Amino acid sequence: MLCEKCGKNNATTHIRTIMDGVVREKNLCGYCAANEGYSNIGHNSLAQMLASMFGDALALDRTSASAHCPCCGATFSDIAEKGKVGCAECYKTFYEELLPYVKSVHGSIKHTGRIPNRAPLTVTPQGDSIESLRMRLNMLVSEEKFEEAAVIRDKIKELEGEK
Amino acid sequence: MNCWYTQSAKEDDIVISSRIRLARNLKNIPFPIKMDTNDFQKINETVKNAVKSSNTPYAKNLKFIYMKDVPQNERYAMVERHIISKEFASNCENKAIILSEDESISIMIGEEDHIRLQVLLPGLQIEKAYDIAESIDRLLCDTLDIAFDNRLGFLTECPTNLGTGLRASVMVHLPIIEGSGEIKILADSVNKIGFTVRGMYGEGSKPTASFYQISNQITLGISEKNAIDNLNIITKQIIEKERKNRESINRLKAEDICMRALGTLKYAKILDSSEMMKALSEIKLGLSIGVMDDERIMPIKLLVEGQPFMLMRKFGEMSPDERDVCRATMIREALS
Repeated sequence: MLCEKCGKNNATTHIRTIMDGVVREKNLCGYCAANEGYSNIGHNSLAQMLASMFGDALALDRTSASAHCPCCGATFSDIAEKGKVGCAECYKTFYEELLPYVKSVHGSIKHTGRIPNRAPLTVTPQGDSIESLRMRLNMLVSEEKFEEAAVIRDKIKELEGEK
Repeated sequence: MNCWYTQSAKEDDIVISSRIRLARNLKNIPFPIKMDTNDFQKINETVKNAVKSSNTPYAKNLKFIYMKDVPQNERYAMVERHIISKEFASNCENKAIILSEDESISIMIGEEDHIRLQVLLPGLQIEKAYDIAESIDRLLCDTLDIAFDNRLGFLTECPTNLGTGLRASVMVHLPIIEGSGEIKILADSVNKIGFTVRGMYGEGSKPTASFYQISNQITLGISEKNAIDNLNIITKQIIEKERKNRESINRLKAEDICMRALGTLKYAKILDSSEMMKALSEIKLGLSIGVMDDERIMPIKLLVEGQPFMLMRKFGEMSPDERDVCRATMIREALS
């Protein structure tokens, strides 16, 4: 049975819902199921889920499979097959492809934890958000690292001025 | 050596141990899945030097060990002591570990990520374990170019660890919750809030002798503090539930089970691993609820020391049948 949403991949996720006494059935592929928020149903482990979803994604978009990471040479199909990323640069190279899966695993694509002092401020294509810089500023102030904090403060001002 | 399994600690009637694991990678070296021998050498040296040159109090007691220099039985005994992963013990070529004397701190180099920093303490001590891990992590992050992204956090080989790279877990002994068939309900409810219940040896392991591991699954979009606070809250609720259920059990029946288990351990001539674990689990419960009172019996110590590779590490290479005899002797002597 083909996925009723994309019509391209085999339907591997079958969902039955009962709402107001009406039974509805959905038959989706892993990729479309993830997009609709049904990603973690029926998989034994997160790695299995990733591998199965990555496989579906490749079937949807063969073009991304031919791109190579400039650092480690991994293709998206390498990552899909093993559910593992080749190097830090892969996250930049395949950022757009990886993002939906990251979101379906964690329910978020925004780091809210600790930020290392030596961390570069720009890796993701969109650059720094004012919000993330503010987080870092607060952290540096709480650690009494005022010189580094001043650099971040100026960068926030600069970005606010661009708005 | 005073390891986690030989010490008593807070809430250890139910919580056996608390563990923090942080996953980190160096920015300019491929992740282990793409690494060659040179890369392994590079990360071994880089991490070793970073730890050596630091001036934190913990660094002084850390020892750098090449895994190829560790005999096979000892490597798997380290798995049984929860110091390293099974995968790390089996594919140890080019790999190294930095270990504290009491084994509470271990840094696996070249496991699934370049750096897997672990702090393992007895009883319920999640915050303390995190504080130690954080102080070592800060020195690593201050010295090394760590792969980090403002949105995705610490970059890891498997996207399931992105963000904080933190896995916080507790090992708990839940014989009464298990006996009432409520483990599945517990697993389902903690799953809804991003936690998972697994067997004693983590991912893929089956529950043994009522021992379970509870850990966070989500690492992106949640701060380290929130993840730890949540695990603490969940663990305290589980402790309360298990203790409350223990109050209503038939004490005579519990004493009978406990004494029979003691009889088995005191007199058995052949003892396989699962029979030993079942008996020690029953004795642990008996000691906790006070139907048995003997401070000399340390069920968790015996449980770890009676594991197959722990026995062979101490008494030499043996067949499984010989191990069962050796295990029975070791336990009999410990209880005499």
